[in-house]
Amino acid sequence: MSNRMAAFGGPGKKKLEWRRFRYPESLVSYAGWLIAFTVVVFSIEYLNIPLDRILGMLGRMGDILADRYYPPDIEYIMDMDYFGYVVETIQMAYLGALFGLIITIPIAWFASFNMTPSRRFVYPVARLFGMSCRAVHETIWAILFVSILGFGMLPGVLALTLFSAGFAAKLFAEEIERIDMGPVEAMRSTGANLFQIMLFGVWPQVRVAFTGIAIYTWDVAFRAATVVGFFGAGGMGWYLKRNVLQIETERVAAIILSIIVLVIISEALSAWARRAVMKMK
Amino acid sequence: MTGLSANPALSRVADRVQEDRRRSRYISGALTVALTIMVAWSVDVTVIQDTDWERIGSVANVWEATSHFIGLDLELFPDLLVPAIETLLIACLGTAFGLILCIPAAWFGAMNITPYPPITYPLARLMMTLSRSIHEIVWALFFVAVVGLGAMAGVLAIAVRSVGFIAKMTAEAIEDIDYGPVEAIRAVGGSNFQVIVYAILPQVLPQIVSVVIFEWEINIRRSAILGLVGAGGLGLVFFRQMNTFNYHGVTSVIVAILIIILLGEAISYFIRRRMI
Repeated sequence: MSNRMAAFGGPGKKKLEWRRFRYPESLVSYAGWLIAFTVVVFSIEYLNIPLDRILGMLGRMGDILADRYYPPDIEYIMDMDYFGYVVETIQMAYLGALFGLIITIPIAWFASFNMTPSRRFVYPVARLFGMSCRAVHETIWAILFVSILGFGMLPGVLALTLFSAGFAAKLFAEEIERIDMGPVEAMRSTGANLFQIMLFGVWPQVRVAFTGIAIYTWDVAFRAATVVGFFGAGGMGWYLKRNVLQIETERVAAIILSIIVLVIISEALSAWARRAVMKMK
Repeated sequence: MTGLSANPALSRVADRVQEDRRRSRYISGALTVALTIMVAWSVDVTVIQDTDWERIGSVANVWEATSHFIGLDLELFPDLLVPAIETLLIACLGTAFGLILCIPAAWFGAMNITPYPPITYPLARLMMTLSRSIHEIVWALFFVAVVGLGAMAGVLAIAVRSVGFIAKMTAEAIEDIDYGPVEAIRAVGGSNFQVIVYAILPQVLPQIVSVVIFEWEINIRRSAILGLVGAGGLGLVFFRQMNTFNYHGVTSVIVAILIIILLGEAISYFIRRRMI
């Protein structure tokens, strides 16, 4: 999380200045607010959002929750069959994150501006690959792979692989761009080749960060794994889809509850593991 | 080594360091073994047992299935314009609603301004975790059930889904503000509300804007798929193309999604660079 904080100007940012109206800057920022406001109003018009009915909808939401989704059918998910699906989901997320991380290493290397072998050719290609992995949503990847490979967990694993590769490559490339170039220069001057520089000059500097990113990626991949099954890629999502189609809302509520519990557990585990890794630094 | 053992205190430190090192080697060895077993097991279950290799067939068959997707259905592009605009607007509106929803969440979730820490703080944290842990598809399913098919469900799903991240980052920003202005406003008799508006908000506003733009960029990605479960936008077209086996059309929709995402990324990059 710390690198994210830094990206948004978290702690340690330059001191805020208090200032009065200044001719061009303030005008630009007012114009920005005006544009944002106009876009919101325009979209309410364009999408026919019934603003006056939103409050009423809240009440209906409560009714629907109380009528249909309560009480969740806990007994339904307390059985070995479902447990098997949960284990499958975990395995899918684990493998997807692992393969993704393996691909991430070369991509992040090629996509980091300071270490890339060729700034003109390899860098844009690697950036584009990472970006398109990230831009296409994991469910779309899942649908594509399911249509190519058929139902099952393999398409899910592949979809999660691309998803985690895109996710981790960005963070890892940023981490490589932040290293101290001293050791790299020293190795270059003694005639080390690219692999040696990567292995002995860069890797020791980013090892801990990479472990943190890996744990975080697993966590995110698990969250995505709970739904890729919805489009035919195995795991809990498939269970969810079946019950959604059968309009077994109380069972759906139970499945969603189990997803929430699992995600909270995995989040806590990953936070704990990341803290442990940071301590070892 | 003799220098170390001559001094008992130093040698004790050296022993401890060695002990630590040995223990961490054991831990990492055990972790490696556990991870390897886990990989082997997962590969066995997912790739070997669960996969129907005969159905997939040879590499040639896979390539044939993949090659359906190569190529664009150019005639589809004019029809994609309206869904693409819809997708973008769902993302904008979802982010705006999310921002409104996140005001109470961030206010209650920042330890230093939360009105009554034992109750409101955990409540806000619960809201954030719920919002982040449920996938947008599940949220969309729920809102489609509540408000019916259409853009409204998508907007609500995205709004609820963005609360977690925006509120968390905002609360963290509020937690490390500079207390000078807060005390100054209090000293002249400002109420809690006035403190928030005049002392805290101006300090965290740049960060909030930056987080919101970042989230908006992610929300474009999300709104592009919500149509898969009936919430309008490009996802709906994707779903239809997929079900009519118009593979080139599917690729066209993906290209359209990529274009609007790149557009969003460019806008967000531009604004964020301007602000810093």
